[in-house]
Parts: sequence; C-alpha cells; structure tokens
Amino acid sequence: MSLKSYSRARAVHVMLVYTGGCNGCDIEIVNSILSPKYDAEQYKIFLTWNPREADVLVVTGPVTKFNEEPLKKIYNAIPEPKAVIAAGACALMGGVYKNIHGDIPSEEIMGPVDKIIPVDARVPGCAVRPEDVLSGAVAALPKLLEAK
Amino acid sequence: MDENKKSSGRNVIETEITMGPVHPAALEPYRVRLFVEDEIVKDAEITVGVNHRGIERIMEGLPVEKANSLTEKICGICSNVHIWNSVMVAEKGLEIEIPERASYIRVIMGELERLHSHLLYLAHGNEVLGHETFAMRIFYIRETVMELLRMIGGNRVQYGVSIIGGVRPRCELDEMRIQKIKEGMDFIEEKVAEFADRFVSDPMIMSRITGVCPIPKKEALRLAVSGPSLRATGVDMDLRRDMECYDPFDFDVITLEGGDVKANLLMRVLEIPESIKIIRQAIKNLPGGPITDRTWEMQDTGVIKSYVEAARGRLYHSYRLEEGRVRGSIVRTPSMSNIGAMQYACIGHHITDAQLGIVQCDPCFTCTDRAIQIIKL
Repeated sequence: MSLKSYSRARAVHVMLVYTGGCNGCDIEIVNSILSPKYDAEQYKIFLTWNPREADVLVVTGPVTKFNEEPLKKIYNAIPEPKAVIAAGACALMGGVYKNIHGDIPSEEIMGPVDKIIPVDARVPGCAVRPEDVLSGAVAALPKLLEAK
Repeated sequence: MDENKKSSGRNVIETEITMGPVHPAALEPYRVRLFVEDEIVKDAEITVGVNHRGIERIMEGLPVEKANSLTEKICGICSNVHIWNSVMVAEKGLEIEIPERASYIRVIMGELERLHSHLLYLAHGNEVLGHETFAMRIFYIRETVMELLRMIGGNRVQYGVSIIGGVRPRCELDEMRIQKIKEGMDFIEEKVAEFADRFVSDPMIMSRITGVCPIPKKEALRLAVSGPSLRATGVDMDLRRDMECYDPFDFDVITLEGGDVKANLLMRVLEIPESIKIIRQAIKNLPGGPITDRTWEMQDTGVIKSYVEAARGRLYHSYRLEEGRVRGSIVRTPSMSNIGAMQYACIGHHITDAQLGIVQCDPCFTCTDRAIQIIKL
C-alpha cells in the first residue's frame, strides 16, 4: 500500500456542490467542516473541491436547469466507493422554489436531487444546522465501507 | 541576428482562461472569462445566471404575507434585510406606523446581520489570500453572532423577524436576551480589535493587498458601485442616514481612499465597531410597549418602492398590491451593480490578483440571479 492510499483510506474528503439554493446551507456546511466550533476536520473529514479526490458529495439547492449537466458530470468524476448527501429542504424536495404553486411544474427547477443522481443520506432543514450536517456525514460513511 | 531579434521580440498571444460555473476557487456558481496577455488580464467577463430560480415570478400573485417570507429565500447571507425591505414596501403602501420597539428590534437584527456578513467577508478574503489561520479566527468570532441570531430568530440563517406591522412575537427581547447580546458585543469588539491589530501589523499581508486592484472614485461612480465597496473609494454615501428607523442612533459613516483590496478589507473591519455602537444604543434605549400593530387593513395600492442599505450595498424592492396579492415584483440587489466593479478591478493586473479583485467587492451571486430571462435557442 502506497503512502498516498494509506493516508487516503483513513480520511474522508467531502466535496460541496452548490446547485442554486440561497447560499445559506453552503455556508453552514463550510462552517461545520472548517470552523473552530464544529470542526469536522478533527475527525479527518476534509473539504475538497476536486471531484477526483472526493469520497462524499454534498449537494445543496434545488438543481436549476443549468446545473443539471455539471452535477451529473461531477458525480461521474468521483471514484468508487462514493456516497451522496442531499442537504437542505431544496435538495430534498425542491424547497420553496419548486412547491410554491402546488403541483405545477417549474421550468427552472429540475430537482430534487434524487431525480438526477442516487442519494444515500438526507439532511433536513432550511437552512441545515451544522449538527445535522455532521450526523448526516456520519450516516453516509457505512456506504463507503460496504462498497469495498 | 535577425532571427534572434524575432524570437526575443514581442510575440504575445492572447489567451482565454475560463473558470466555472463550478470551480474550486469560487464558492458560488458563476462563470469568469479572463483574457490574458503575458499573465496580465486584458479583459474580464463575469456571467451569472446559473442558479436562476425565478423568484419574482413565483412571487407574482401570492398573498403579501407569503411573498414577504419568500423574499427571505433570495439570499442566505442577507436574508433579514430582504424581508425587512419587502415588509417596508407593504407598510409604505398601506400607511402602517410600526411600534417604536419593533423598529428598534429590526435595527438590532439588521446590524447583527451586517456583523455576520462583514465577518464572513473578512474570513473569505483571508482564505483567498491564503491566510487560513485568520479565516478560522474570524469564523470563531462569527459563531457568536450566529448564536445571537439563533437566540432571537430561532434559526441560524433564515430568521424571519419582520412581519407587516412589526416583528414576530418570538423575537421579543427580554432581560436574559439583552444580557446575552451585551456579552456578545463585548466579546466581538475585543476579538475584532485584536484581529485588526495583528492584521494591520503583518507586513506580508499588507504588501500583498496594498495597491492591488484599485477602483478610482470616478470609475466607482460611473459603474454605480454601492455599499462598503463605494465607501472604500472615498464616496460618502450610506442609505442608513436616510432611513427613518436609524434616526435615533448616532453612528459614523466611514470612508477610505483608494478602493483597493486593502481599503475594502479595512472598510469592513472599521464598520464592525460602528454596528456594535448602534446595537449598544438600541439595547440601552429600548422602548417598552407592544411589538406588533395588527390593526391595519388591506387595500389596493399603486407601485411602491423602497431602498435600504444592506450589508453589501443598496437594495431595492418594489411591487403593487391588488386584493392583498403581490403584483409586478422587482428586486434589485447590491451585487448586480457591483459586478461591473469586479470586472473593472481585474483589468490591468496580474492573473493571480484576479480572484482577489472579484472577492474585494463582496460578491453574492445568489442574490443576483433572479430576473434573468432564459432564451431558448
């Protein structure tokens, strides 16, 4: 086992993709992983912006029209084993943007996320709380182990 | 000899460097095209529209209370100021006088939000500079503001404080909450002063940001820059002085010269104590009485407009009311006009400064992506 794969096997890299929400969830997720109070980095959960390095994909937002293709591309670029977390009300069911008029479909919103890529863990909230993000990340971890 | 001259002569090819919509350097989705010659940016183009959700169309025809709470979802950073302004539009049209206590609580929330937005800007700016230690320190200070916002509004990001006629009953400030805000303000003031000392006395950071990507005063006015980015170029403009709810408070409008990255970063550092000053005055003189006036009646109105000073600049909302429903809603956010400044700031500078030039204007592309027409080709 090379040094790189040894250390990679003992850390989880999270990639955050933002598909058109209101920015609230994103800052809370960055906050929960980086900031000194919640600090998921102490459990070796790191934030990365490179899909080829990532293990876990965190998706926020209701997936707008222009973001559908990039999201699929990013999902395919992540190597196996991988897990996907949908974070926030928009990613789970389209949020206020999709459901405001009941069942009338919106032309701009292609979401929710599980229509486009398979989702393993769901984090509710508008906006998500940092505590929930951490428990969502923990819930997605077994997926990474079983695929091996 | 001739051939040597040829090879050493200027034979520069313009290269295009494109980033986005999803890119490691950009937190939000946007597209930047930089036209580069010899590592110097000759032209820059920023395109938004990737996260268009059509909020103004969704607002069309909704009951005004529902539309107000929807405006909060335009932006996750400055959510309070959107609902505040949208509620003010309805209050102007229906001629509602809100209780004084409600006005004070709104100002407290607005200034707390300005604190968290400015601290986020400083953290993001330091991260782009490559100084992660400072960024983490500021995230630590910001956590205090977020806890105060959660305590008052019940949520860390979208707190929905303002309703037509006052503020939500949940946001009543009792003795315990006031005490906590006082303690929080003391903590933030002390920590930000410590940070400012270390930031200004760090020669590495100062040499990195001084004179980088300046925007002259004349250009800033031509590009209609607003907010702290405009004040950093030396123009004395702050809509808070024109807003009625800020009348009882005494605060200074700070202006700096230059409009470069240094002036922009220091602008936010210097505005934080002013916000703390306003919050302290509001807590000290908080009047008693009710916080909501529910005696108003719905009626049809003409087009009503309202401007407020958000953390990033001037924010405009307008709509008209028809049988209690919102028609023809228009929202204009500060980043919309600041995009011009972002493009201008990059031109003529080294490519490594381009990201700083964009970040120095405090972009919020989520706010901006609303009213863009999708053209089917």
